[in-house]
Amino acid sequence: MSLFKARDWWSTALGEKEEFDQGCLCVADIDNSGSGQAKITVGSYMGYLRIFNPHPVKPGDGMQAEDLLLEVQLRDPILQVEVGKFVSGTELLHLAVLHCRKLCVYAVSGTLGNVEHGNQYQIKLMYEHNLQRTACNMTYGPFGGVKGRDLICIQSMDGMLMLFEQESYAFGRFLPGFLLPGPLTYSSRTDSFITVSSCQQVESYKYQVLAFATDADERQETEQQKLSSGKRLVMDWVLNIGEQALDICVVSFNQTSSVFVLGERNFFCLKDNGQIRFMKKLDCSPSCFLPYCSVSEGTINTLVGNHNGMLHVYQDVTLKWATQLPHIPVAVKVGNLQDLKGVIVTLSDSGHLQCSYLGTDPSLFQAPKVESREINYEELDREMKELQKIIKESTKTQGTSILHIVQAIDSEVRVEAVPSVTVRYCITLQSRLAVQKTKLSICVQPPLALTHDQFIFGDIGKVFFYSVALSVFLKGNCPPAELEGNAVASYSMPTDLNPEGIPRVAQCKFRLPLRLICFPAQPSKTANHKLTIDTNKSPVSLVNLFPDFADQSNEDQVNVLGFQFLTGSRITLLASKTSQRYRIQSEQLEDLWLITKELTFRLEEHFKKQNSKDFTCTFSGSVPLQEYFKLIDRHFELRLNLLKRRLLTRFKDKTPAPLQHLDTLLEGTYRQIIALADAAEENQANMFQAFTKLKSATQLVIMLISLWQKLSTDQVTILEATFLPLMQDTQELGWEESVDAAISHLLRTCLSKSSKEQVLTLTSQLSIPKDTSRLKKHITLLCDRLAKGGRLCLSTDTNIQQTMVMPGGCSPIPESDLEERTGVQDSTTMFTNHR
Amino acid sequence: MGLEMEPLLQAWSYFRRRKFQLCADLCSQLLEKCPGYQEPDSEFTVSQAAWSLKTRALTEMVYVDEIDIDQEGIAEMMLDENAIAQVARPGTSLKLPGTSQGGGPSPAIRPVTQSGRPVTGFVRPSTQSGRPGTMEQAIRTPRTAHTARPITSASGRYIRLGTASMLTNPEGPFLNLSRLNLAKYAQKPKLAKALFEYIFHHENDVKNALDLAALATEHAQYKDWWWKVQIGKCYYRLGLYREAEKQFKSALKQQDMVDTILYLAKVYFRLDQPLTALHVFKQGLARFPGEVTLLCGIARIYEEMNNISLAAEYYREVLKQDNTHVEAIACIGSNHFYSDQPEIALRFYRRLLQMGVYNCQLFNNLGLCCFYAQQYDMTLTSLERALSLAENEEEAADVWYNLGHVAVGIGDLNLAYQCFKLTLANNNDHAEAYNNLAVLEIRRGHIEQARALLQTASSLAPHMYEPHFNFAALSDQVGDLQRSFIAAQKSKEAFPGHVDTQQLIKQLKQHFAML
Repeated sequence: MSLFKARDWWSTALGEKEEFDQGCLCVADIDNSGSGQAKITVGSYMGYLRIFNPHPVKPGDGMQAEDLLLEVQLRDPILQVEVGKFVSGTELLHLAVLHCRKLCVYAVSGTLGNVEHGNQYQIKLMYEHNLQRTACNMTYGPFGGVKGRDLICIQSMDGMLMLFEQESYAFGRFLPGFLLPGPLTYSSRTDSFITVSSCQQVESYKYQVLAFATDADERQETEQQKLSSGKRLVMDWVLNIGEQALDICVVSFNQTSSVFVLGERNFFCLKDNGQIRFMKKLDCSPSCFLPYCSVSEGTINTLVGNHNGMLHVYQDVTLKWATQLPHIPVAVKVGNLQDLKGVIVTLSDSGHLQCSYLGTDPSLFQAPKVESREINYEELDREMKELQKIIKESTKTQGTSILHIVQAIDSEVRVEAVPSVTVRYCITLQSRLAVQKTKLSICVQPPLALTHDQFIFGDIGKVFFYSVALSVFLKGNCPPAELEGNAVASYSMPTDLNPEGIPRVAQCKFRLPLRLICFPAQPSKTANHKLTIDTNKSPVSLVNLFPDFADQSNEDQVNVLGFQFLTGSRITLLASKTSQRYRIQSEQLEDLWLITKELTFRLEEHFKKQNSKDFTCTFSGSVPLQEYFKLIDRHFELRLNLLKRRLLTRFKDKTPAPLQHLDTLLEGTYRQIIALADAAEENQANMFQAFTKLKSATQLVIMLISLWQKLSTDQVTILEATFLPLMQDTQELGWEESVDAAISHLLRTCLSKSSKEQVLTLTSQLSIPKDTSRLKKHITLLCDRLAKGGRLCLSTDTNIQQTMVMPGGCSPIPESDLEERTGVQDSTTMFTNHR
Repeated sequence: MGLEMEPLLQAWSYFRRRKFQLCADLCSQLLEKCPGYQEPDSEFTVSQAAWSLKTRALTEMVYVDEIDIDQEGIAEMMLDENAIAQVARPGTSLKLPGTSQGGGPSPAIRPVTQSGRPVTGFVRPSTQSGRPGTMEQAIRTPRTAHTARPITSASGRYIRLGTASMLTNPEGPFLNLSRLNLAKYAQKPKLAKALFEYIFHHENDVKNALDLAALATEHAQYKDWWWKVQIGKCYYRLGLYREAEKQFKSALKQQDMVDTILYLAKVYFRLDQPLTALHVFKQGLARFPGEVTLLCGIARIYEEMNNISLAAEYYREVLKQDNTHVEAIACIGSNHFYSDQPEIALRFYRRLLQMGVYNCQLFNNLGLCCFYAQQYDMTLTSLERALSLAENEEEAADVWYNLGHVAVGIGDLNLAYQCFKLTLANNNDHAEAYNNLAVLEIRRGHIEQARALLQTASSLAPHMYEPHFNFAALSDQVGDLQRSFIAAQKSKEAFPGHVDTQQLIKQLKQHFAML
C-alpha cells in the first residue's frame, strides 16, 4: 500500500525465461573508467553475464543498444557476481564470478571507438579456481586487515568456508552445527565473518580463529573428528534471533559498524558485539534489503523490498518513504549512474532490471469503470414508473398460482368388503415455465383413510398433465366429522435470479360422496332428534336431490328417504309436500350433521342449476343446545378418565416395595402397567370417537346458528374458528378450554354489552377445567347474544384501540429521536488484517 | 533449458524467493533419490538439509502469524476461570465497556457493538471477541462477524487451517507425527526448530509441538529464549494462560524481542488485565522506541476500553512511524467521522483509496462521508460502486442500508422504504434496518406493523437502545403505558445517558403515581 510509485528512469527485461537471485546484481565502476560512473553487472542462472551502462536521453526510456556494454554466455550458472580488488599487484577493480563449482576472476576493459556506439568491451579471465564442493555464496574483503586488496571467502552448500588469497587457495573450514547455508558477510572492523545458521542464530567467527583452527582438508572423514574439529572452531559471539535470515549486511560509519540482518519477519540492527541495537517487525514478507548511510547524523537508512512489490525506506525504524515497484525485487542496489546519484537498481527473479528514483508520481490505482450508460432521463423515468407499478402490484397480491389441481371423483362407490371411492387427481401446468420439485399430498380426516397420501413428481418439464389415482375408505367404527379432503401440491418455480426456485403451493378441497359412508335404508318414523330446515323455494323431490340413494321406482321416496351409516345409525330425511321445509331426524344428534350438510349443499347446487340466485335456507327452531352439551360432557368425562388412569399409574409406581421378592413385585407392577396402558389406549380410541362426534355436532350447531341468524360468511368463519380450533385434542390442551377461551374472548369483545365487560380479564393460562358448566354457560350466552342481534366482527377490537388512541391527539413522533443516526453504524471498514 | 543447477542449491534459491511449492517438489525428488528418505537422523547431510528445507517450505505455505490469530470460542469465554475479579473496578477490565474514562462518544453518536463498545474502524480478529455477559449473547453471532463463533477454539479456524494444509498433499502428510521420535529430534537444535514450526503451524498438533518444545528446551538447558516462547505459544493455545505468561516472562528476561512482548500482552489481554497489557507494551516501547506493532497494540487496548481519545493519539503515533498503516488510517478516519468531522474523515478514506485499498467497505464509508460532508454528487456514485464491489449479501445489505439512510436524508421516504426492504432481503438479521423500517411505518400510520418490526429489531439486537426507545415512545403514544415502561427500562439499560429515555421514564412514573 503506497501512495507513490517508483519513477522509472531506465528499465529493461533480460533474456527469456532466465532466473535470477539475490547475488546476481552488482553495481560498480567495473571497467575502472575513473569517472565514478557505475555500471550494472548482472549474471543469471542460465550463465549469461551482462554489463550495462544506462544513459537514457530522458527518464523512462527503455534500453538502447549501446547501453549494453557486454553480453557473454558462460558455461555454468552464475550464482553471484562481485567487484573488488581481486588481482594481486594492482588496486584496479576486477569482477569475480561464482559458479557452482568454479570461481573466476575477470578483468573488464573497454576500447573507445570514434563514436559512442563504436566502444568495445571485453572480459579477460585473470584466474580461476575449481571448487571441490558446490558453492553457495561468497563474500570478500580485506581479511586479516590486509591493505589494498580483497580476499574471497566462499560458503559451500555443505557448510565449508573456503578462503582464497587471490590467486591461491588459503584454507577451508567447516562451520559447526551446519545444516543449510545462510547469508554470509564480512565485517572489516571486527575482522570476522557473520552468518545466520540453521539454529536461527546470528554467529560471528573471527578470521583469526578460523585461520588457526584445524584444517578441514587434513581431517579424516570420520564422525568423531568432524565433531571435534567443529568444536574447536569457537564463535566470537552468537545471538539467537529466532528466525531464518534472508540477507545480512555490515555498514560502518564513524568508527562504529552495525550488522543488519533481514529475517523472514523482522529486521534487526546489531551492534559490533552482537547486541540488538533495534529491531523492526515487518508487515509483509521481505525479499531483499540494502542498508546505506543516511544524511542525518547517527541514523542509517535501509531499503527493504517485499513480496508485495513495495520498496520501503526506513530511517532506523521509522518509515520514511514507501514506493511501489512494478515487480518483486530479489536484489536491490544503489549506484551513481550517469551523473545521477543514488539511483535505485532493482532486479526481479524473472529478469526485469529497473533503475528508478523516488518521486511523487502517484501510484494511482485505477479503479475499473463502473458500467455506465448514457442517461436518458425520459427512459429512466418510464422504467422507474414501470418498476414502481410492479412493486405496488406485488405488494398487493401474492401472485397467482400457475399450477392447478383438478380432481375428479369416480362417482361410483364399489361396495365390496369395504366401500371405497377412487379419486383421481390431475395436475395441470398452465405455463411454459418449468416447475421443479413437485409434490402432491392429500389428507382426509382420520376415520377416513387413504391408500396413498403422497405423490412425488420431481421436475415437471414439458408435460403439462399428470394424473394419479387413489382410494378413500372408512376405517374405524364411527362416521367421520366431515367428508372433505384437502389436496396440496407444492412446487418451486425457478427464476433467473433464483435457480433454486421460489416455493409455491396450490391447493384444492374436495368432497367425498355420501355413499362412501352410508347406504339407503328404510326410513323410520320415530326419532329423538329432529331438525327442520326452512327454505324460500318450493320443495324439491328428494329423488331428484339424492338420485344415488333413491330408488326411482319407489314413489314414497319423493318425500321420505332413509340413510344408514356404515356404523349402524339411521337417519331419516323428510320433505314437506306443501311447505318449503325439510326435516331430518335421527337417534343421535351428531349423525344429523352429515345429512344436513349434504342436504343444504345439494339444495344449493340444485337451485344454482336452475339459475335462481336468492335461495336461502333458514332454521327457525331453537338450537339443540342441551343435546349438544351432553356431547360436551361425554367428551370431557373421557378426558378426565384418562387423567385418572394416569394418576393411578403414578401411584402404583410409587408404592414403596420391600426389597425381597422384588422381581415378583416388578413383574406384577409391569403387568398392571400393561393393563393400564391397554385401558388407556382403549380410552384414547373412545375419546377419539367422542371427539369426532363432538366435531360433527359442533359443525351442525354452527350451521344451525348461522342459518338461524342468517350470518354472513365472514361471521360463519369466525364462529368456525371459535368452535373448531385447529388443534390436536390432547390431554394438555383440550377442546373445552380452548373453545371456552375463544368464546369468552368473543363475548368480551364484539358481543359485549357494555364497556365494563371489556375490562374483564381472563387467566391467560389454559388448563383443564373442573367441569363444563362454565363452557355451557358461555355457549348459551353466545347464542343469546347472537339472538339479540350481536354481530361477530373482529375488526371492532382495532376500532376500540384506535378510539383509545386518537382522543389524546397524539403528536407526531419526533424524527430526531427515532432515527437516531443508526445509519452511521455501517461505516465500519471491514478491512481484514492484512499481512 | 540451459544449464544444470545443483538441485539442493536450486531448492534453496526457490525457498529464498518464496516459491515454496517448487521448493517442496524439488526437495521431495531429492529425498526420493536419497536412501535416507524420511530418516533424517542419519548423518547424510544432503538428505537432512532437503528434509529440513521441505518442512520449512511446507510451513511457510500455511504460516499465519500467531499474534494475529485470536479466536475465542464460546467455551473459553463462558467457562473462563482465569478472570480475577468478577466485578472489576471501573477502568480495569474489558468486561465493562461502559466504564469509559476518556470521554468516549455516546452511543447516540457512535453506534456500539454487541458487547457495548463503540464500533471500530477496522475489523480485526479481536474485535469480535468482546466478552459477552451471558451464554445467549455468546451464541448470537454479531452482525459484523460473518460466521458463527466456534464452540471452542480447539475447533474452528485452527482446524480449517490444518485441513487446508492437508489438501496440498494429496498423497498424505509429509511426516507421520505419531511415528516421530521427538526426543531424538530435540537433541538436534538445527532440525528441531524447523520441525517444531512444521508441527505447530502446518499440522496444528499443539500437544506434540509442546512435547517437542519441552524436550528441546531441556536439551538447551533452558537457555534458549526461542523455545520458551514456543512453549508459551502452545500453552496459550491450550488455554493455560498463567503458564504461558511465565514462559514469556522468562524468555523476555533472556532476550528482549518484539514478538515476545506482543505475546505477553496478548496473554494479559486474554486474562482481562488490560492495564497490565498496557504496562507491558509501554515497557516494550522503552526498549524498542517507535515500534509500530507495540503502538498499535496500545491503541487497540485503549479503543477496547472505550478510551477513544487516547486510542486516537496512539494511532497518530503509529502514523508518525509508518504513514502507510491502513489500520491506523481507518481508525482515525472513523473517529473523525463519528466526532462530526466528515470532511476530515473523507480525507483519510481517500488516502486509503489512493493507497490501493479497493473494496466495498471503503466505498461505503466514502459514500457516507460525502453525504454528511454535503458532497451529494459523489455520494451516489460511491455507494453505487460499493454495491458493485459487494462480495456477499451482508456487504450488499450494508450498502443498501446506507442508501436507505441517504434516501431518508433527502426526504425520499419511498426510496428509503424500498432500500431498507432490500437490506432485509439481503440480510434478514439487520436490526438497524428493522428499526428504521419501523419508523417509516409509524409515519405511514401502520402502528401494528411498526410494533412488530421494532420487536424484531430489539430481539435481534438487544444492545441497541433505539428499538427499545422507539417501542417505548410508540407504546406511550397508543396508551400502553406498561409496555412503554418496560421498553424504556431496556433502553435505559442499553444507554443510560439517553436524555429522552430518562424523560420518558420520568413522565411514565408520574403517570403511574397519579393512578
